[in-house]
Amino acid sequence: MGGMHGFGAVVTAGSDRVAGDPWELRVFALSTRVGIEGLGEGSGRAIREKMQPAAYLGAGYYERWLWSTERRLLRRGTVTADEIDAWVERLRAGEQAPRRDDPDAARAAVAATGRAKPLAPAETPRFAPGDHVRVRRMRPPGHTRCPRYVRGAAGVVQAVRGLDAFPDIGPYEGPDEAVYSVAFDSGDLFGPSGEGPWTVSLDLFESYLEPA
Amino acid sequence: MSHDHDHDDELALRAAALEAVLVEKGLLSTDQIDAIVERYEQDLGPRNGARVVARAWVDADYRARLRADGAAAIRELGYGGFEGDTMVVVENTPGVHNVVVCTLCSCYPWPVLGLPPSWYKSPAYRARVVAEPRAVLREFGLELPAETEIRVWDSTSEVRYLVVPERPERTENLTEDELAALVTRDSMIGTGLAARPDA
Repeated sequence: MGGMHGFGAVVTAGSDRVAGDPWELRVFALSTRVGIEGLGEGSGRAIREKMQPAAYLGAGYYERWLWSTERRLLRRGTVTADEIDAWVERLRAGEQAPRRDDPDAARAAVAATGRAKPLAPAETPRFAPGDHVRVRRMRPPGHTRCPRYVRGAAGVVQAVRGLDAFPDIGPYEGPDEAVYSVAFDSGDLFGPSGEGPWTVSLDLFESYLEPA
Repeated sequence: MSHDHDHDDELALRAAALEAVLVEKGLLSTDQIDAIVERYEQDLGPRNGARVVARAWVDADYRARLRADGAAAIRELGYGGFEGDTMVVVENTPGVHNVVVCTLCSCYPWPVLGLPPSWYKSPAYRARVVAEPRAVLREFGLELPAETEIRVWDSTSEVRYLVVPERPERTENLTEDELAALVTRDSMIGTGLAARPDA
């Protein structure tokens, strides 16, 4: 949504809170378990972007996580919508949620969040720092990590970040490829501004770029 | 986003139902969720990032390691994991101010800053800080000199960013712990500066 208008002020009453209702953090935690345990199918991030746009903008942040976590579980067949609906009604009627404790599993769950998988170095990157590149014009059908506001713009490669799995689907689907830090002048993205110039840097996959 | 209470109640019910189904099926234990929530509520937060910044202020070798491989240098202090796999640390200087956003979702370096505040996830911040950074920074009370170069970092890949704010003046005699206390969360995102010791 970079560059869009009409969302109003950033700093508002309550905008500094990290999490509000307890269910929000529980959904966050549940989502990490679903990913690590392979209980769901698909990327939560990609699925969230499949929300109908008006619903996406109207939903709270963890509401989107709830939505995507449920869909991942349904896609894998781990749970059915009927099973979830049934528990919604049982809880609404005042029934206690089932509780099960497994301290070893709890310790392992926390330890798993500390694992890190850094990007592997890119051995044969197509571009090098200092290269002038242009972001391809494109209209990917699903998830992408190429924001609309840089498509078609020219920028300069600042660094090669490493190799990562190309996240787009459909015609842009692909294997590991190099990711570059590319710097853009604000004027090339948004035109003249009363603020004077600034730079915006993005990390962009090689397929998004062509020589300029 | 604001919601009516009925809608919030429905979300809470649905979240609890999802957890209940998985617990009932034996695919999840309740204390796994409790433990992760506790971890993110109590252990991960901007105090971690503040320790990284304070170390960078007092130790030039550490600062160089932070610049070369952010995640590895941060791991030296015991922090790492999800959303901190690959870290790039950007440094403010008298002429350069860095600010971080994720316009596509709300990517944020959890191991050093915890979970993001509401404004970081808001459509307003995600839409505006790339397109009118000075106006957004002004909302945070941050008025930068006209000649300061502003660099906005949009976290569009798996790389996460941490800003090292400028070390405030008259802090030569402070300990590393005292310095860390001056490092605010917003100063490590770039919507603020480190606090002054007399403030």
